[in-house]
Amino acid sequence: MTATPVAAKPRAIASGAQQKLLAFASLIALLVFFSLASPNFLQTANILAILQATSVNGVLAIAATLVIITGGIDLSVGTLMTFTAVIAGVVLTFWGLPMPLGVIAAIAAGTACGFISGSLVARMKIPPFIATLGMMLILKGLSLVISGTKPIYFNDTPSFPLISTGSLIGSIFPAVPVPNGVLILFLLALAISWMLNRTTLGRYCFALGSNEEAVRLSGVNADGWKVAIYALAGGICGIAGLLIASRLNSAQPALGQGYELDAIAAVVIGGTSLAGGRGSILGTIIGALIMGVLLNGLRIMSVAQEWQTVVTGAIIIFAVYADMLRRRRAG
Amino acid sequence: MLNRRSLMAALAAGTLLATSSLAMAQDKMYIPLVSKGFQHQFWQAVKAGADKAAAEFGVDVTFEGPDTEAQVDKQMDMLAAALAKKPAAIGFAALDSQAATPLLKQAQDAGIPVIAFDSGVDSDIPATTVTTDNLAAAGMAADKMAELIGGAGKVALVVHDQTSRTGIDRRDGFVNRMKEGHPDIEIVDIQYGAGDQLQSTEITKAILTANPDLKGIFGANEGSAIGVLNAIKETGTTGVVVIGYDSGAAQKEAIRSGAMAGAITQNPVGIGYETVKAAIAATKGETLPKTIDSGFKWYDKTNIDDPEVAAVLYD
Amino acid sequence: MTEVIRMSAIEKHFPGVHALRNAQFDLKAGEVHALMGENGAGKSTLMKILAGIYSADSGSVQVNGSEVRINGPRAAQDLGIGIIHQELALMPDLTVAQNIFIGREPRNRWGVLDEAQLNRDAEAIFAAMKVPLDPTAEVRRLTIAKQQMVEIAKALSFRSRILIMDEPTAALNETETEELFAIIRRLKSEGVAIVYISHKMNEIRRISDRVTIMRDGAYVGTVTAEDTPIETIISMMVGRELEQTSIAIPDLGDAPVALEVRGLSAGRMVRDVSFTLRRGEILGFAGLMGAGRTEVARVIFGADPREGGEILVHGSARTIRNPRDAVGAGIGYLSEDRKQFGLALGIDVRGNIALTSLDRFSDRFLRVNEAGLAKVATSYIASLAIRTPSDQQEVRLLSGGNQQKVVIAKWLLRDCDILIFDEPTRGIDVGAKAEIYRLLQSLAEAGKAIIVISSELPEVLRLSHRIAVMCEGRLTGILPGGPATSQHEIMRLATRRDHAAEGASA
Repeated sequence: MTATPVAAKPRAIASGAQQKLLAFASLIALLVFFSLASPNFLQTANILAILQATSVNGVLAIAATLVIITGGIDLSVGTLMTFTAVIAGVVLTFWGLPMPLGVIAAIAAGTACGFISGSLVARMKIPPFIATLGMMLILKGLSLVISGTKPIYFNDTPSFPLISTGSLIGSIFPAVPVPNGVLILFLLALAISWMLNRTTLGRYCFALGSNEEAVRLSGVNADGWKVAIYALAGGICGIAGLLIASRLNSAQPALGQGYELDAIAAVVIGGTSLAGGRGSILGTIIGALIMGVLLNGLRIMSVAQEWQTVVTGAIIIFAVYADMLRRRRAG
Repeated sequence: MLNRRSLMAALAAGTLLATSSLAMAQDKMYIPLVSKGFQHQFWQAVKAGADKAAAEFGVDVTFEGPDTEAQVDKQMDMLAAALAKKPAAIGFAALDSQAATPLLKQAQDAGIPVIAFDSGVDSDIPATTVTTDNLAAAGMAADKMAELIGGAGKVALVVHDQTSRTGIDRRDGFVNRMKEGHPDIEIVDIQYGAGDQLQSTEITKAILTANPDLKGIFGANEGSAIGVLNAIKETGTTGVVVIGYDSGAAQKEAIRSGAMAGAITQNPVGIGYETVKAAIAATKGETLPKTIDSGFKWYDKTNIDDPEVAAVLYD
Repeated sequence: MTEVIRMSAIEKHFPGVHALRNAQFDLKAGEVHALMGENGAGKSTLMKILAGIYSADSGSVQVNGSEVRINGPRAAQDLGIGIIHQELALMPDLTVAQNIFIGREPRNRWGVLDEAQLNRDAEAIFAAMKVPLDPTAEVRRLTIAKQQMVEIAKALSFRSRILIMDEPTAALNETETEELFAIIRRLKSEGVAIVYISHKMNEIRRISDRVTIMRDGAYVGTVTAEDTPIETIISMMVGRELEQTSIAIPDLGDAPVALEVRGLSAGRMVRDVSFTLRRGEILGFAGLMGAGRTEVARVIFGADPREGGEILVHGSARTIRNPRDAVGAGIGYLSEDRKQFGLALGIDVRGNIALTSLDRFSDRFLRVNEAGLAKVATSYIASLAIRTPSDQQEVRLLSGGNQQKVVIAKWLLRDCDILIFDEPTRGIDVGAKAEIYRLLQSLAEAGKAIIVISSELPEVLRLSHRIAVMCEGRLTGILPGGPATSQHEIMRLATRRDHAAEGASA
């Protein structure tokens, strides 16, 4: 797993570590349970499949975590991901430009859209739920318009699928061919975790969610920082867009809606408060893994699809309730 | 504190035990079907056929598909989980053949036969493809059309597109059959409306204006057929025989009211059934034909409520 | 002493309100200058203009003799002006040090936050203030008093020479207030000029050098604190003389017992508490902060779970599991924090009064009888003298005292004959306080049984027929009200620790 982010407050480390330990323990419990339930679960190929399946939701959940810590919500992460994938398709397939430009274009498009969402929220004071709901629909529509409602394939850029499905680790340690998509997820998690704990941007992220008015009264450019956080989240959605496009070797323009709810669920299971002010990337990653393991494990056990949905819903509610009980006891 | 979390695991366990097929006995052959959809009536009918075959041949079958046909990545996750279960064979209807290629290769390497179903998989890995013989089905539509207009006159086609396999096959099946069997019938126009109801309506209006003596129109899929019906209604045209394809509430209603003479329906139950049957055959090393026709049926006002017809129709 | 601030001819309008009219204020280095006035007199508005939170419509502000424009909190900070807000402006999820230096975090040469330096800097400020506070503690875990210290440290971290304190002791107990005063004196001796906004007369006399009084947004006058009688200051504030009444204690020997509590226990804050309350009686609850008074009230009201003991209402035992049960038994609780628990601020007066009795004003189709409601609301507005333009005024636009009356009306309408008041005059100005006192007395005369929880001893002494004193969750004694009891006696019981408790708690 990722290392615990270096925080300078010893007491906070103690309580934070305890919380993560619990979330981690529940993840382990699920792994043990499914391993006992089916011999096919704990196989290298299946574990890699779970990680691969988690990578896109994990990256989106990281983006959602940032916005949720500021006390906002971002419903546009799913369709923004698709939009950036389509932009990559336009640059690489329609225009035939080299791959790095496609990567840059996707992340830049994501950042720009995040900037717009952030400006709507911070400067025009539109409630985040509404602003990002609007963005969600706008981006969904634009993806269809730009792509002509058909998938854009990346057949002219043969190295493009390697972004997600290649394995840098596997080329060094052939026994564990961890897909690059998973590697990117964990590297991104480390980077954003560090950002949250060690940079001013991260500090304002928590401060805004904790008491926005206090930040403003302290003479800080609260609106500007908020826009920056939404823009960063948008850029991260661009990375998710690259991952999913690379994995499917195509930009699927109709995909994306509904993915924001999976991302928010992962954030919440990971113990980040929807009220803002508290949260962690490590928790979010564990939350995303819990969801990935759960879905895969239920499939491995051949649970009927209808019931998979029911169990997932129940687990989300239960995980959050357990976390609330624990918090209440901890005071 | 850990108790609470382990409670969570216990909850999962309880639900699982209550719902998972406990009869997953090890000696039974296991065949997962990964489909293009799940909630839609058409896919539920495919699932019903697969379940029927499972009971009949004593194998275990699971059926999964993403919520929408856009969720290509979710289908990949389902296919990956299905492969992890080391199944005897796999049934697969690809949303995007390209995206699925790495996983299909994985199946091939593991010696797991893949049976493609519905529109199939654009690859040589599948042992066979269970699908509707669209050429033959459209041929039957042509015969019915000839019969209904008295063997002579002008007819037109509204097709969903000229690039997809189904579009090409249904068009050619209809046209060829007319040429061979009904030389007195003239096909005056073939137009493409992307399966979009509105676009198909406009196309049909243009055809009707250009050919006031038109005797019949064939709509080659659900959207095209409904477009044709709309145009006839809006222009107040009478005396034009309309033949449709597939079902859906609107077409069924039109057939009952007489606005549509009849339609070809595929046999989704048959697709599911034949897929499982072919999968079992593949595990035994039997050679299979390149495609297996799952069958189709003509239905009109007279037989729409017959049990075996009603069973393959959906709303 | 040199003059550091001179504000003159300040005008400020808010929509529908002329908040400041030709207001003025001056401040000298090394003085504590109290700013007084009833709520709505314009004190906070004037100081927010000085701190750059509001901008004046017109008028002049001079800092150290030169004319300035303060167009934001940053500009005020740069001029050495710091403000400690009445409603603390802290970020509860951040640590003490992170709060102090928000917006000015020390960074190392790669631009990365230097948390160690941050904590060292905070530590240095606390050392200078002689306050032992852990810079790495999470603010949400601190007491209000400690949070206040964080605010002061934050203001000082700007090297503020001018410090504005808006009701800093509102939530502090006596010991904490003493600590705050010690800090104020130290700052003063270092030449820091302090503006002190408060309602508490005794504090003003003790801590301030000069007092400026405002009324209705206008300047009334400035007097020296030492040789001006409190009555003079009060009459300058309210514009009229206030009568100084002391309570007449009725003989309630024959009055029926309305509420009896036996051996009530809940957690560490409520331990074996027993008392009786008669109809027509006002029972005061005194004690230091954290003595468990509010907790007792919450358990009686069913807001917190009861772990042991009995509650008898009018002689019969009642099971109170939640506030609905309590209301059903005729118990009303007027919480300490009106804004958070007692009122729906965005709703009008009528709606708030009806909040707990809506079922009585609606038919079986859940249609609300607005005409009936209006009649009832209007009658309470008249009988309680609630100052509001109409019963359809939003409650958030009323002053603290009038908000409190709305809460009282709400419970009276609900037919509650046992009323528990938790800090009924917090944040309410002097004139309105006297009115609330009179109201409580008339409620008691009308046969209501009343519990008043208050941290202000003069208030407890002035109101109560009997005084229950608590310490660390235990009831350490019940004293008679009126002049027979001294503040000293109450304090003795309020500080009586566990080992001496056994005899007194019954």
